[in-house]
Amino acid sequence: MEDYFNYTKNLFDPTKVQEKPEVFKGLRVLDFTHVIYGPTAAKVLGQYGAEVIKFELPWVGDLWRFGVLWGSFWRHSSVCFHFVQYGKYFFSLNLKLPKAKEIILKMAENADVVVENFAAGTTDAWGIGYSQLSKANPGIIYLSCATYGQYGPMRFFPGWDLLAQAASGVISLTGYPDTDKYYKLPDYVGDFLPGNIGALAVIMALNQRKKTGKGQYIDLAQTEALMRIIPNFTYHSITGEDLGRSGNTDPAMAPSGIFKTCDGKFVAVAAVTDDQYKAICEAMGHPELVNKYKDTFERLKPENAKELYDATAKWVGASSAENLVELAKKHGFSFAVVEDDYDITNDEWRRERGSVIVYTDDMYGKLLIPGPSAMLSKTPGRIKWLSRPLGYHNRYILKKILGYSEEEIKQLEKERVVGNWDDRPGIKPPVYYDIEKDPIFNYKGE
Amino acid sequence: MSKKEKEQILVRYGSSRKEREDFLKAMISPEGKAEVLDDVIVLDVSYANMSGDIASSIFAEFGAEVIKIEPPEGDPSRKIAPHGVNRNGVGVPFIMEARNKRYFTLDLRDESSREEFKKLAAKAHVVIETYKPGQMDSWGIGYRQLSQINPGLVYIAISPYGQYGKKAQEFINVPDSDIVSQAASGAAANIGDMEHMGEPYNWPLKAGVWLGWYINGVIAAQGGAVARYYASATGEGQMVDVASGDAYASLVGYPVTMGFTWDRARPRIGRHDFAIYPYGFWPCKDGMVAIAAGRDHDFRGLLKILKIWKEEDDWRYIFDRIPDIVEQVEKLYKMIADETNKYTSDELVKMAIDYSIKSAKSKWRGGGVPIVMKVQKPATTMQNPHWAKRKSFTEFDDPQLGKFVLPANFIKMSDSPPRVKWVSCGIGQDNTYIRDKYLK
Repeated sequence: MEDYFNYTKNLFDPTKVQEKPEVFKGLRVLDFTHVIYGPTAAKVLGQYGAEVIKFELPWVGDLWRFGVLWGSFWRHSSVCFHFVQYGKYFFSLNLKLPKAKEIILKMAENADVVVENFAAGTTDAWGIGYSQLSKANPGIIYLSCATYGQYGPMRFFPGWDLLAQAASGVISLTGYPDTDKYYKLPDYVGDFLPGNIGALAVIMALNQRKKTGKGQYIDLAQTEALMRIIPNFTYHSITGEDLGRSGNTDPAMAPSGIFKTCDGKFVAVAAVTDDQYKAICEAMGHPELVNKYKDTFERLKPENAKELYDATAKWVGASSAENLVELAKKHGFSFAVVEDDYDITNDEWRRERGSVIVYTDDMYGKLLIPGPSAMLSKTPGRIKWLSRPLGYHNRYILKKILGYSEEEIKQLEKERVVGNWDDRPGIKPPVYYDIEKDPIFNYKGE
Repeated sequence: MSKKEKEQILVRYGSSRKEREDFLKAMISPEGKAEVLDDVIVLDVSYANMSGDIASSIFAEFGAEVIKIEPPEGDPSRKIAPHGVNRNGVGVPFIMEARNKRYFTLDLRDESSREEFKKLAAKAHVVIETYKPGQMDSWGIGYRQLSQINPGLVYIAISPYGQYGKKAQEFINVPDSDIVSQAASGAAANIGDMEHMGEPYNWPLKAGVWLGWYINGVIAAQGGAVARYYASATGEGQMVDVASGDAYASLVGYPVTMGFTWDRARPRIGRHDFAIYPYGFWPCKDGMVAIAAGRDHDFRGLLKILKIWKEEDDWRYIFDRIPDIVEQVEKLYKMIADETNKYTSDELVKMAIDYSIKSAKSKWRGGGVPIVMKVQKPATTMQNPHWAKRKSFTEFDDPQLGKFVLPANFIKMSDSPPRVKWVSCGIGQDNTYIRDKYLK
């Protein structure tokens, strides 16, 4: 029999991704979202082959086009915008004007999915809500992403990732117990995770549509999505106590923690099972501890867990990271060296796997971006281009999908129904790029 | 109805307020609605790794018949228990993910059990496993073999470094855990306080939620749902590979792009945020409030409601406020804290909402929307009437597990929503049912 790793290497071969079929090819997604939460849901669908058309206001654009870390743009664009919005069609349309609404209603007739993340009820007020679009197209799947959902007394409260973290209680869980040292989750994970749950809901709705032919409305509250991932409510209902913060240890496993090695590196160690506990005791040279805490639940009691945490900290503090890696491999306990941004970017295995992609874009050049989170052997997710300047695909969409002529488009431009950018970085093309020669931006039609 | 109320309603709903409200209300309860995966059988053989249980829970919530297969002594995940708290030998996380599942005992180390597993797999649509890469294959029940007997099978494997590549091979004996996933995928390195706060506060810090395992679980379910869609169209199954060491980095993306564009690691910045300010939480009379007022006009609004407009000149643009100079940002933090300390959280929330309503109505639309929200603990979140109205928490009562509350009903869908029908997890409690139904 062929070696397993040879077999899987061929099965998942990252160099063959572009040749493989796309699951959602032929599906059209109208993406009325901004910042991260909604756009992420649409991005995932695009990754698997759907045609995602992102709508933005001309001359204004998505707020997150300016969301740059420490104020630094990269080639006149935001890198975060690139990995949240890649592979989409950028269409800028002034929703306030009746002509723009006509265009949207026309597109909705043969669209499959709509995603929006405005305040509750806003798209309905604009005449492009589920109640309106589903009349024209009963097959439409409509995902509304709001912080508190579409129904309930707090539905009109505005929110971002931070507020969802605050309202769900997640914000109070990361940090050191018995101090006021606690921190929000970084990198807007309160947007990214609910956004992916939104994509999951749409994919389930697509599965359902296959059976019934009917679309449906999805009300996803960012805060509820975060509530789904914490055991604290259940813990509280059983014990009557708060689980609270636990610093650098996982109270569900003992020993577990992030520790500092003698060479100044940080490593994570955990005993998920009794076997792993035994392995750690042996690796640290304290086999007597194995018998001391034979019962898992006994071991997890705070005072006992503390003893094991301290013993592990002492052992790790006297070893080098390199030595510990070897011990983990030999004895078989859960272990990893803490990796920061730089390590992740330069990890060979992630590039080999395709979870970090060195992408060369026609407009922006080389950028490292995250690959799909799950690798599918037959229909892998993929990237087609990075994000584009505001309204980059206007001509392409108006001509190819809607059949407008050049004259009609000029008229729309004159009436400011569609438009592009001003001189701000984030919405304009990079300075070195000659946009006048770009065949998509100046799409001539077939 | 006052003119003011009418105006607000029109702004929010167009013309059909009642219709929309009724429609949304009907969506809150999943009862009587269709289940999207009611024709799908999922075999969950995840072992000592709750990512798999989370993924199979999501399938079960969407209606699949999920059969959790364990050895006779039970999956060690049952004993993953914060502070050792358990009900009848089952820890809280396992109870939380014991949603709508069937429990069947099979010892896969034993060959005759593997034959039974094959029989089940021939009828199943999805398999979820978390063994070390190649383990199932060496037992003759990996994707390679099962896809021969069931070409439509979706096979989801979750492991620390995936099923292919050198690192997967090199670390084959190193098992997965949530904290290790957080460490390997860039979460821990980006949480924690600033350098000058001293040890251990400036160390990398584990997120207080299972960021690694829950990302894995959601991503595995998402990838599996995509593969199911393809399988129901073409009859072709496939393998879905989730690497725990990728969880955070590939979900949020920042570690990957920032490491490249900055050519170094970002420092840890504690409570602050790299892109927006204010975007964090501040003390007030009765606890903490989260404040997000990042755009310049939002920030102006915040200065106005806190009555410190005189400071506007120094902090006018977002690039004045971003925390790249530590002394500056601490000065700004203190400036806001001095004011928020004068009020209660309810007062601050009301001040922000009143201001935002006024500013949204102004024809200039330049007043901004400073957002303030009280920082909750999970226990207080449960008391919020908003979630009661949305039925976000459900109480369950099981003969073996007793009474407890779960966050359920987390996606509202008009046609085929997910739901929790029962929570129960006795080892082998459905052995007869499974044998009668699938193995006769």
